[in-house]
Amino acid sequence: MALLELRDVTKRFGGLVACNQVSLEVNEGEIVGLIGPNGAGKTTLFNCITGYYRPEGGTITFGGQNITGWPPDKVSHRGLVRTFQVVRTFKEMTVLENVMIGSYCQVASTDEARQEALKVLEFTGLLGKKDALGAGLTVADKKRLELTRALATRPRLIMLDEAMAGLNQREVAEAIVMVKAIRDQGITVFLVEHVMEAIMPISDRVIVLNYGERIAEGTPAEVCADDEVIKAYLGEDYRA
Amino acid sequence: MEGNRVRSGRLAVAPQVAILALILVALVIYPWIFKRSFPVHLMIVIFIYAGVATGWNILGGYAGQVSLGHAVYFGLGAYASTVLSTKWGITPWLGMFVGGAIAVLISLLIGYPCFKLGGRYFSIATLVLGEVMATIFLNWKWVGGAVGIFIPMVEESFLAMQFHSSKIPYYYIALVFMVVAVVINYLIDKSQFGYYLRAIKDDPVAAHSLGINLTKYKLMAMSVSAFLGAIGGTLYGNYVMYIDPTTVMYNTQSTLIMLFAAFGGMGSLFGPTLGTFVLYPMGELTRAYLGGGGRAVNLIIYGALVLVVALYQPGGLVAWLKRLTRKRG
Repeated sequence: MALLELRDVTKRFGGLVACNQVSLEVNEGEIVGLIGPNGAGKTTLFNCITGYYRPEGGTITFGGQNITGWPPDKVSHRGLVRTFQVVRTFKEMTVLENVMIGSYCQVASTDEARQEALKVLEFTGLLGKKDALGAGLTVADKKRLELTRALATRPRLIMLDEAMAGLNQREVAEAIVMVKAIRDQGITVFLVEHVMEAIMPISDRVIVLNYGERIAEGTPAEVCADDEVIKAYLGEDYRA
Repeated sequence: MEGNRVRSGRLAVAPQVAILALILVALVIYPWIFKRSFPVHLMIVIFIYAGVATGWNILGGYAGQVSLGHAVYFGLGAYASTVLSTKWGITPWLGMFVGGAIAVLISLLIGYPCFKLGGRYFSIATLVLGEVMATIFLNWKWVGGAVGIFIPMVEESFLAMQFHSSKIPYYYIALVFMVVAVVINYLIDKSQFGYYLRAIKDDPVAAHSLGINLTKYKLMAMSVSAFLGAIGGTLYGNYVMYIDPTTVMYNTQSTLIMLFAAFGGMGSLFGPTLGTFVLYPMGELTRAYLGGGGRAVNLIIYGALVLVVALYQPGGLVAWLKRLTRKRG
């Protein structure tokens, strides 16, 4: 059974149908990419899954439990956590404190939360900056911090919303290594990404959205060869 | 790395504790040095306000939910204990907690719907709550209406919280209240609760995604805050032995409580206490020099000072002091 399962999820904003009966599955241990042109409904879908929007129709099942309409805090306690397209670092807190907020999801004691946070910081390579304030980090470090913070909640599934947008080539390469390392820890990864160079080599499966509808799904190679995908999104350069 | 502001290392624990202990000892022996009535009176009122401002800070400074109606809780504490003791002879020590419970209940009733709306709406709602409650108490004959309630003098005893021969017992009661408020704030500061409140203030959307139930923690902060406000109200009422809506439940009171906290440093442990210790005596001095003609001058001065703080050092006195010590060190 799939870890995350969407059945006919529909989200409307007035007359605009942002997600139209989207169904998809993410299996345990996979890296799944979600791509599509701007306004395709990728972030809306993420917001529906993580409880920021309540879908008008359809069901969302996570770990065998129907989580449709659950608030974000309840969803993350179940083991599904996300990062944000526009970084949302806690600006007035240090890097360590940022990550402790994530750790507190699992442990209530401050000492344990700190120990836990230090471990995760070491894993993501941010340990050296633990005393810096969230506001003072570079974009790449802020994104890395968000990832660290999300990992500190000990999720089963992590959803990354454009974690690589705005990074330079070296930083993208580092982020790819990081995503793989996260999967190797046994955490399933579901990511929205515009950086094709990043999403194609790491994804086991890619799902394509266009105008709120799922138009294709398959391995990166299959998706790249799909006529509809090329027309809607990738452009002729990506014709395999 | 440039632009990487590193948080100043907190002072080693030992000197900090030593300074605190010194201040505490000084406060304990103070009434034996300054024996005249006014200096003791001044400190009693400062302690009470500092405790209430510290409570305000847990909600306003830590959780970032600015309450503009904290006089409601202060007033409820004063009224609950006074009504219970004048009408049924119940000791204010018990009435204090009844007032606290009522204040918590009212705060939850206003907080639950308003927290769903977000910061500014919450502030507006608390402002309205303040006006509504003051109007109700002004017109509620059973609790004295606009005339208020005089607490009848009884034989002095700890149980009745009445001491006529000396202000010193009040002094220590108020001091204990302030210390307890600061200790509660300290414990919150170091706990998951405190971290969560700061996260909610910093970025509620991100906090929500990390498993924080926003409404629950804001309501918890509001309860603690309202409770401390009510306790302060009881102590104040019993100390001055007269309460009416304009002295214990008016929006000037709410403003004062907020100003003390904001001036000293919102979201910092000692900010509200420091703010009260600096601002309150200034108000008293202007009143002493300008008399009845200068009724609102203290508020004008407070306003000007808070403006200066808001413009040049939003972190308040505490942040300013921290910066000074950092420069030297």
